[in-house]
Amino acid sequence: MTISVLQAALLGLCACLSSMPGLGGTTFGNYTLGRPLVAGLICGLILGNVQMGILLGCAVQVVYIALVTPGGTVSADVRAVSYIGIPLAMVYVASTGMDPATASAQSLAVTLASTVGTLGTVLFYGTATINLVWQHIGWTNVEKGNLKSLYLVDMVFPWISHILCSFIPTFLICRAGSDMVSLIQNYLPMDGIAMKTLFTVGSLLPSVGVAILLKQVVSKPKDFLTFFFGFTLCACMGLNLIGCAIVAGFFAIINYEIRVLGLRPVAAASSSMDDDDEEDI
Amino acid sequence: MKKISTKALNKSFLNWFYGNLTCFSQEHMQTFGYMLAMLPILEDLYDTNAEQTEKMQTYSAFFNTEPQVGAIVVGITAGMEEARANGEDVDAETINGIRAGLMGPLAGIGDSLVVGTVLPILLGIAMGLSGGGSPLGAIFYILVWNIGMFLLMRFMYFKGYEMGGKAVEVLVGEKAGAIRESIVMVGTMVIGGVTASWININTAFQMLNEEGGVIVDLQKTLNDVYPHILSAVFVLLCWYLMSKKKMSPIAVMGLLVVVAFVGVLVGFFDPGLSY
Repeated sequence: MTISVLQAALLGLCACLSSMPGLGGTTFGNYTLGRPLVAGLICGLILGNVQMGILLGCAVQVVYIALVTPGGTVSADVRAVSYIGIPLAMVYVASTGMDPATASAQSLAVTLASTVGTLGTVLFYGTATINLVWQHIGWTNVEKGNLKSLYLVDMVFPWISHILCSFIPTFLICRAGSDMVSLIQNYLPMDGIAMKTLFTVGSLLPSVGVAILLKQVVSKPKDFLTFFFGFTLCACMGLNLIGCAIVAGFFAIINYEIRVLGLRPVAAASSSMDDDDEEDI
Repeated sequence: MKKISTKALNKSFLNWFYGNLTCFSQEHMQTFGYMLAMLPILEDLYDTNAEQTEKMQTYSAFFNTEPQVGAIVVGITAGMEEARANGEDVDAETINGIRAGLMGPLAGIGDSLVVGTVLPILLGIAMGLSGGGSPLGAIFYILVWNIGMFLLMRFMYFKGYEMGGKAVEVLVGEKAGAIRESIVMVGTMVIGGVTASWININTAFQMLNEEGGVIVDLQKTLNDVYPHILSAVFVLLCWYLMSKKKMSPIAVMGLLVVVAFVGVLVGFFDPGLSY
């Protein structure tokens, strides 16, 4: 498997659409096209192996499951993870003849994607910095009363930032990367310590992603019990994630009912009767 | 009595839905998206360019929040702008007071609840559907997330427009707190499930007797204690380092590289691969 000029260009376009100040918009760009799972599907379609794309995309998704960018601070930018990391991992896995369903192929994808993900951070700051120029043009025009120029500033000019910081890097790295794969294979044998470490890192990294998520939702020690409840459902009782989500939803409804019951006496004491019509029925 | 046309409201909403972050910079994060969303409203309410330009100055103040939940703020200010155009007692300071006051809390709700909980739950389910490399999960996620978010944002935008300044109380009320807590509970459980289903950390450590027979197979012993226990241990370790030791995610990843290297050297980890 190699990446042709056309394929690299398509991947570059996806990178433009999917990054954090991405041109696909927040919901469809960053939070849909940028997610590694979706990128797995897209890269699979572009490179002609959907099954492999999804399998590797899923594995990478676990690391970035908690990719929240509070206040515009990024630890990793999805454009590089999804549209440089995943395609290169696909090329590598295909050329070594590994089975993409195995843990080792998936660890490799994770390590590769996380490594290029750090490059994405540089691309993110590059894009945001170039956008300052367009914003400056915007301020000048808004003061003059030329309000329609806002469309140009917000929706057209940023394409230039993205051609420089998303399209070109993705295009070049994907093109060059597919040639480098065979080089890596020759110099780093699988049973050597470097490759063993690389694969082990790949299996450890998803725990960082999950821990970031945990950091957001755990506010008191008893929340850990909730976490282990879900863990036990899947690890010991063999539920899949959909089953787990349904059981969780059931407990959440019980929790909500209890909380609302707790609120009621306060509400009844402080507000008049006609406010509570609905709840009394 | 001036009233914003439905067409202008729809245009304003779509401008926000698509353009809230497209011209992002560290200096003025969502300010331009906000001004673009207000443009159809101002054009509808005020006839002269001079008036539109003057009112636009109100929205040139810095704005940044979680943009999806933040749609409600744009709706609220559209409602307030309508009131201002009708000569009600609303000035630029009132509008910017609401904007600045809601930015922080909504970013908190949006980041932790929508992006930090609902999105991972959907992704978790989607990964389950995509097991074995089926595109079904990815398609499920694309459809549910986009249709769901579009409808939610539209609902919030128009609700904000209807309620104007009154929306603030609803957003930070006690019932909202109960809903928030319950959704976070689902999120926490699903994260537990994701840890068990998608993280695979195994040890290769074995103790052998003189003939090469296995005395202790550590992974097997651990499985008897609690399946997938190493995955849980590593997640807790990372959580501890980040929340108690205040390490950055990048630093934790660096530390894991060291752990992996040492682990491979002593034979604790061995992916067991060959070409």
